[in-house]
Amino acid sequence: MKLQEYTESKHNFEECMKCTVCTVYCPVLQVNPLYPGPKQAGPDGERLRLKDPYFFNYALKYCMNCKRCEVACPSGVHVADLIQSARIRYDHSAPKLRDRILASTDLMGSLARPVAPIVNGVTGLGITRSVLDATLQIDHRRVFPKYSGRSFERWLSRRSKEQAAFAEQVAYFHGCYVNYNHPQLGKDLVKVLNALGVGVQLLEKEKCCGIALITNGMSEQATKQARHNVGALRKAVVDRGLKVVTTSSTCTLTLREEYPNLLDVDVSEVRDAILTATRYIYERLEKGATLPFRPDFHKRIAYHVPCHMEKMGWGVFSERLLRMIPGVEFTLLDSNCCGIAGTYGFKKENYEAAQAIGAPLFEQIRTVAPDVVACDCETCKWQIEMSTGFPVQNPISILAEAIE
Amino acid sequence: MNMSPKEFDVIILGGGITGAGTQRDCAMRGLRTLLIERSDIATGATGRNHGLLHSGARYAVGDNESAEECIRENRILRRIASHCIEETEGLFITLPEDDLGYQKTFVDACQRAGIDAEIIDPALARRLEPSVNPALIGAVKVPDGSVDPFRLCAANMLDAKLHGGQVRLHTEVTGIIREGDTVRGVHTLNRQTGRTEDFYAPVIVNAGGIWGQHIAEMAGVSVGMFPAKGALLIFAHRVNNLVINRCRKPSNADILVPGDTVCIIGTTSTRIPFEECDHVAVTPDEVDLLITEGAKLAPALSSTRILRAYAGVRPLVSADDDPSGRNISRGIVCLDHELRDGVKGFVTITGGKLMTYRLMAEMATDTVCRKLGIDKACETATTPLPGSEERSYEAVASKIWESPSTAQKAATARMGTGASRIRSGNRLDDALVCECEEVSVGEINNAIDRLDATTLVDLRRRTRVGMGTCQGEFCACRAAGLLAQAHGCIEREREDLRQFLQERWKGNFPIGWGDTLREAEYTQWIYKHVLGL
Amino acid sequence: MRFDTVIIGGGLAGLVAGISLQKEGRSTAIVSTGQNALHFFSGSFESLEQAPERMKDLFGEAGIRLHYSPGWRLMPMGSFREAALSLEDVSLLPEKHFADKTLIVGLPGYLDFFSGFLADGLEREGIPCSLRTLQLQEMQALQQGPGEMRSVAIARLMDRLWEKVVQELRVLLKDEDAVILPQVFGLRDASIPDRIRQGIPARVIFAGTMPPSIPGIRTQMQLKRRFEVLGGTYLAGDEVVDAHQHEGVVHSVVTRNLDSHYLEAAHFILASGGFYSKGLKSNPFEVTEPVFGLDVDYTQERSGWYAPQFSDDQPYLQFGVRTDEGLHALREGAPLQNLYAIGSILGGTRPEFGSGAGLAVRSAFAAVDQILENRV
Repeated sequence: MKLQEYTESKHNFEECMKCTVCTVYCPVLQVNPLYPGPKQAGPDGERLRLKDPYFFNYALKYCMNCKRCEVACPSGVHVADLIQSARIRYDHSAPKLRDRILASTDLMGSLARPVAPIVNGVTGLGITRSVLDATLQIDHRRVFPKYSGRSFERWLSRRSKEQAAFAEQVAYFHGCYVNYNHPQLGKDLVKVLNALGVGVQLLEKEKCCGIALITNGMSEQATKQARHNVGALRKAVVDRGLKVVTTSSTCTLTLREEYPNLLDVDVSEVRDAILTATRYIYERLEKGATLPFRPDFHKRIAYHVPCHMEKMGWGVFSERLLRMIPGVEFTLLDSNCCGIAGTYGFKKENYEAAQAIGAPLFEQIRTVAPDVVACDCETCKWQIEMSTGFPVQNPISILAEAIE
Repeated sequence: MNMSPKEFDVIILGGGITGAGTQRDCAMRGLRTLLIERSDIATGATGRNHGLLHSGARYAVGDNESAEECIRENRILRRIASHCIEETEGLFITLPEDDLGYQKTFVDACQRAGIDAEIIDPALARRLEPSVNPALIGAVKVPDGSVDPFRLCAANMLDAKLHGGQVRLHTEVTGIIREGDTVRGVHTLNRQTGRTEDFYAPVIVNAGGIWGQHIAEMAGVSVGMFPAKGALLIFAHRVNNLVINRCRKPSNADILVPGDTVCIIGTTSTRIPFEECDHVAVTPDEVDLLITEGAKLAPALSSTRILRAYAGVRPLVSADDDPSGRNISRGIVCLDHELRDGVKGFVTITGGKLMTYRLMAEMATDTVCRKLGIDKACETATTPLPGSEERSYEAVASKIWESPSTAQKAATARMGTGASRIRSGNRLDDALVCECEEVSVGEINNAIDRLDATTLVDLRRRTRVGMGTCQGEFCACRAAGLLAQAHGCIEREREDLRQFLQERWKGNFPIGWGDTLREAEYTQWIYKHVLGL
Repeated sequence: MRFDTVIIGGGLAGLVAGISLQKEGRSTAIVSTGQNALHFFSGSFESLEQAPERMKDLFGEAGIRLHYSPGWRLMPMGSFREAALSLEDVSLLPEKHFADKTLIVGLPGYLDFFSGFLADGLEREGIPCSLRTLQLQEMQALQQGPGEMRSVAIARLMDRLWEKVVQELRVLLKDEDAVILPQVFGLRDASIPDRIRQGIPARVIFAGTMPPSIPGIRTQMQLKRRFEVLGGTYLAGDEVVDAHQHEGVVHSVVTRNLDSHYLEAAHFILASGGFYSKGLKSNPFEVTEPVFGLDVDYTQERSGWYAPQFSDDQPYLQFGVRTDEGLHALREGAPLQNLYAIGSILGGTRPEFGSGAGLAVRSAFAAVDQILENRV
């Protein structure tokens, strides 16, 4: 009989051996005793939920989706996916206004851009933050990212001709952060890729990857955006044979993993072509390409591997790339979640937990006292800068500084 | 009337569902009752069957009377035993290799028996039950359900106790006291303490299942029973939500029953010698058959983790005292031995099935009352069992706790209104013993205090501790600690733990591959090397 | 990426091999699916009556103090087992009657520590016991959600509170000459168990609990850190899914995370463990090794895989990958020149190495020696 050659279950929860190791490594459980922990929220809970959705535990909302449980699981169970898809399936509570706002990055970005200086000024004020705290439960201690007056897309589309002239081409999924808050990172990427002889193109009408929509109970909207993005990716990858690079670790994970695992959006045609820029550049350098490094560059760098990067296993590329830069004194920070988990740490009910989770990381950064903390995730950047005062740069920005 | 503590109106032998149901009925009619069981509740066929709340459809074609009986009891049990039952509904599917023409015969027979059988479109069947074999060409919806036999048994016994009945578990009947042609009482031996005791009653009811033959012999009468083994497999999680049957002449392995957090495929039927009854095991061929046939009902089974294999023994009774057993009665057998064999004060109630237990109990109790000259009507069909006073466990949980945790919800789904007895609200009692099934310390202690649980296996029957995918890896130790605290004897608990692990292993190695083998390796490591048991 | 050696499996065997190689300047990568069996490590190394000097050195350099003292170990359920080599947390007792009177201290609501069983075991050896629970204000915060009371949650707290615990114990101690505590101390700081011992005027024994094991986790963290400090690349949460082999030589492996970015190396070590860690796979018909398709020594007839008594030795625990003298893994009867199999994936095929920790360490050193001699 051909039966039972293998077993399969949703997010392979059947393979759980109940060893509880996931629970050891969950950052939330360490600071929030209301959270049942990944084992109970995931594989244990799934068996009960299959009996009756009544057994769905609303405390699953405390899961940060950091995926550390999955990295720790000796059986390879997709614990975090199990939890997030349970939330999507069973938690039908309407998202609060606050959550809608926090998750609608495209909308907020487009609204803020034309009046960026005003928005930045206002969100910087203590009184604004107190009001947001009282009305929307966005913690008043949280520092808001600044908006840029000009979008990255506009900057790059003005240079499309000159970029098209390069012999090699890549597409760039820039994400909300680069587009609305920090176009400089996108410019840095273009500089580095151009130095390698590679021109950079935009995707056709990229939308926010949707991670915040997924975790804030707006999976339908997320699915719409996902389908749209996959269409745009197809055009670049399948029709034009391009690789797609990214500078945000979370956007990368969302496109490659969350789309198929949580939203049932098929990415098989494009997934393998999506690479973090650090991986793409490292692989080229490994194969013999060179960059014009400045001889006078010197920096003490401490690298923080974002949780989603650790899940993808690609921290090794960013690490090696940074080590390749002459003049760099490199420290790898201990694996520790920074605590912000995207929109999670903005919420009043999570703020203390978020700060407690990140505390050991902040402590280590203060001890190491680098010139700059390197990190591929923008929300980690906000968190570390706010909590330690040390500057944080994406490895690509550091690379851009280090070359002529 | 001042009766000695050893004297009762009726003594019931056997703590399966038949015995428990009979004790309840007798107690409700005002009799002073004692139930004696050599092991724990539901350790015979009651605890080793499919857990199917038959609509009766399966018997409609072959035995319409049986089917009628089934559907009547089905409706009754839904009312009186709601916390023991899941009203899942069921499907009888026709696969391409089956004869679709049988469907009409089937439905007609159901109608005749009073069973609501509705032919539905296969597409609708697939929507109602996504796991059903998509190749199905026909489907009939019937009012099947699933029943937890342990809860049902415990609830009946609890009700008997509430009406003044007494229970002696782990007590073996070593002899029947006869004076001439009258049975007067029983000699017993407590297997846990070694204590011997005699009890007396004018009527003794033999509800010992397959072991009833041996009990009858002790009374000097002969009842021809034929043990028939049935093997089943439990899958690690619930694949289906409706019962799935095959619409054809009843055969092996053609029912998939969802129950709580698992689903069960069964069953087979093999005659075995009496000596094997206490040591039944599942063979590799039976495992093969169950998986192969099960996958025809729900293809997902071919790649679903199997939790354990188990077998039970049906007490089939000869219909006409023919010792060859050629003519097996499918129905209920109630024997008044005064009329049949000239032995006074002895009644045997056997045959039937789990879900007609109440009717069996009614028949037995009517016989008992007749013998005692008592004229009281049976009220078991209309009085809810303790725990079943309210039908919706969601409503019950919200009444007991303002914001029930998952463990509290799970406890309510298991115990119904009985969950209000569980101590909770503080971290010690709310701590989880079994994380797979969400069983708290409070629930375990309640089972020890009020539900006569004295061993780990007892606890497992009453609370589901150890029934999850880890099969007791973690929870067994924790529960053992609680039991040891309750009865004070550590060595006894160590031995209990060893036996519990052995019981689990017995059910695991017949399906010992894949994740089951991984779990087994882990369990070996923990108990032998980490804990040093 | 190119390395001198790629090790598949980050358990005890893989880490010992990785550290040894990296120390000799051989660039090494370890690919590990999740955390490993050290998470339920009892703390004593079975089948290692004599620790090779190099093992002591290796562990010592990683900050792990080993303790060699043939004697008895008190097991969590009150029995005694012979042991000789252990982590410093684990007390090795010269004799079973190690005290005249013992105080056993548990934690309220902590079900994974078996005070009653321990007391019973000791009383059988003629040692009367008093049982107490430690009441600390800070522990209230721990258990708001059910299921919270696991060893790790407690250990994190104890790393901060151990001095308070010592004070409490001094008060609880009457005329007992030994104290037994659950093994929930020293998660981050290996010195804590010893400092507790020094703070109490009685012999202190840390008795094991249900997993996760605190000394096990700490050991794992220390070994991993040592490997990385030596320059090793530890790829966590990844899995080798395929290998490129040609004419008896393995050229590269493919991992799930790194996909098209193959890991190339001159040498490969397979340390992927037994069934639990999926080093060996089983279905109703056969047992296989999933990455390379290596030859596995196992009983063909499935009923021969099991002993019907749980407490008996189980045949399936002896199944393992076949190797030649030099630990080269065999495939279709022929050895792969640059692939070594070490640790529990060998099952019982190499009894000279022992079992458990002994098997892991000895086979790791044997493979490392082969690789170091082999200048490719």
